[in-house]
Amino acid sequence: MTHHHHHHAASSAQRIDRVAWAKALILLGMGIYLAYLIASGNLTNYINLRFAWLAYVGTAIFVLLATVSLYVCLKPGAGHQHYQISWDMLVIVAFPLMLAILIPSRSLGIEAINGGISLSPVGVESPAAFRRSPLDRNILDWLREFNRGAPASFNGQQVDVTGFVYREPLFAEDGFMVARFTMSCCVADAYPIGMPVSSEAAADFGAGDWVRVRGELQAGKFGAEFMPVIIASTLDAVDEPAQPYLYP
Amino acid sequence: MHTIKPAASQSSNLIKSLALALLAALILGATAYQALSSGNDIALALSVFATRFLGIFVEAAPFLLLGSLTSGLIESFVRSDDILRWMPRNKLGAALGGTLLGLVFPVCECGVVPVARRLFSKGLPLSMGVAFLLAAPFMNPIVFASTWIAFGPGTVFFGRIVITVLVAVTVGTVIGSFAKSKDALKEEPLASHDHEHDHSHGATTRDKLLHALQIAGDEFFEMGRFLILGSALAALMQTLVPQQSLLALGTGAVLSVVFMQILAFILSVCSTVDSFLALAFVNTFTTGSIISFLSFGPMVDIKSTLMFTGVFRRKIVFYLVLLPFVMNLLAGVVINVALGN
Repeated sequence: MTHHHHHHAASSAQRIDRVAWAKALILLGMGIYLAYLIASGNLTNYINLRFAWLAYVGTAIFVLLATVSLYVCLKPGAGHQHYQISWDMLVIVAFPLMLAILIPSRSLGIEAINGGISLSPVGVESPAAFRRSPLDRNILDWLREFNRGAPASFNGQQVDVTGFVYREPLFAEDGFMVARFTMSCCVADAYPIGMPVSSEAAADFGAGDWVRVRGELQAGKFGAEFMPVIIASTLDAVDEPAQPYLYP
Repeated sequence: MHTIKPAASQSSNLIKSLALALLAALILGATAYQALSSGNDIALALSVFATRFLGIFVEAAPFLLLGSLTSGLIESFVRSDDILRWMPRNKLGAALGGTLLGLVFPVCECGVVPVARRLFSKGLPLSMGVAFLLAAPFMNPIVFASTWIAFGPGTVFFGRIVITVLVAVTVGTVIGSFAKSKDALKEEPLASHDHEHDHSHGATTRDKLLHALQIAGDEFFEMGRFLILGSALAALMQTLVPQQSLLALGTGAVLSVVFMQILAFILSVCSTVDSFLALAFVNTFTTGSIISFLSFGPMVDIKSTLMFTGVFRRKIVFYLVLLPFVMNLLAGVVINVALGN
């Protein structure tokens, strides 16, 4: 009886030890992951940089909690060992880390478009956008601008925008949309918007390729809509921008 | 003090296996669906899921950490006696107090659950805790500020306050009147009782702090699993349900409210930033539906529903989702009718 009891206590202490180590290492891993996102710039793939400070706060707390957990592991008796943590918690909480390690970090691109793309802007109209000169306007600025006048009133205005190529089966051969995802807070609210483009060189670019489009606006029919279309003079292949999303 | 409760541990084992099965099914399902329906290659589909999931997690985790820290500090430094001394006697008063508790503990919906759970273990009355749980994610200085910045002092800002208080007080009072704490709350898994005297009397501040940080770490795992399962579910829904098919339903006094509430539930965006998100819908959706989106979302979404299951028994979780849904819906429709859209 006594022997049995001893044996049980020993194995349970071992279990507690393993759980304590796993807890400490996962917390440390989380802290390292957030710090890595900040350092590598990959954070822009996930959240609006207006909220980047959240990642700093998160890193600090993870490292603090990991330090305390490691301290308790290394100095038995330093703290009270409360183990409400079970293996399923460890596995589930480690899941984001496994995903982050196994799958290369990417921004949302063309394959994330689910059910079409919007021709209208998102968010409130920010006065700052209207003060931008036409060549500085991004796709979101232009769509907001289009809300303010008749399509033909933009004829002849110069455009210089960057986005990825998006096509639908019904588009004409020389037509595509130059598209971006907008993001207010994090990818949870990412939303694709785009401007129609017409160009002889359209066929040179595959769906999802990043492209810089320069040209001028001309009102025309695009699908069912009558709206300003970019008549492109040059299309240049470019790298994905450091900030892949537009922030409303 | 420790008693063995085989029934409870069996049911928690069931939840564990369910959780793991759900997680595995989610990943496989998401991957397979994307691969089959759009001809995309599996790696790309998985990468979209990973980006959506990690985005929600990275945004929400710091808030959960802050909530866990608060919970740990309460455990170490607040005594049950102190809480009980300040409690209003009747249920309505307690519920009203609960809605204002967020001003003392500024937490969003990821952080509120661990704090509420800790306060329950310290003897907080059920009606007050439920009102706190529903109201605090909005009724705190940070979210007041973000709503004010996004919408200014108008119908949306004040509508959001009035409806949140109304719903939180009503649901708190109703649940507090019809259920007892010990029937509503799950078996106490918190290692609180037997250590209470060690930490509340005589322990040094350093010991208490160390204890608080350990509790905070445990809390992150305990609540984090629900946050992670919820984020995975939300990311999956977003990958499967085309946002535009929801947007098409923006008009209509009743339908628009129903859809904005469903959207709030699915998106599971943190209450500290949901105002900025709601701005995206101002042009297409009715005012009532925007207000309902903002008042319902912080109370109940995929993440918080899963986290509720870590605190309450299943029946109470059901009412905690249903009652706010119906009441916010009613409020949204009334606003739409009053404004004539």
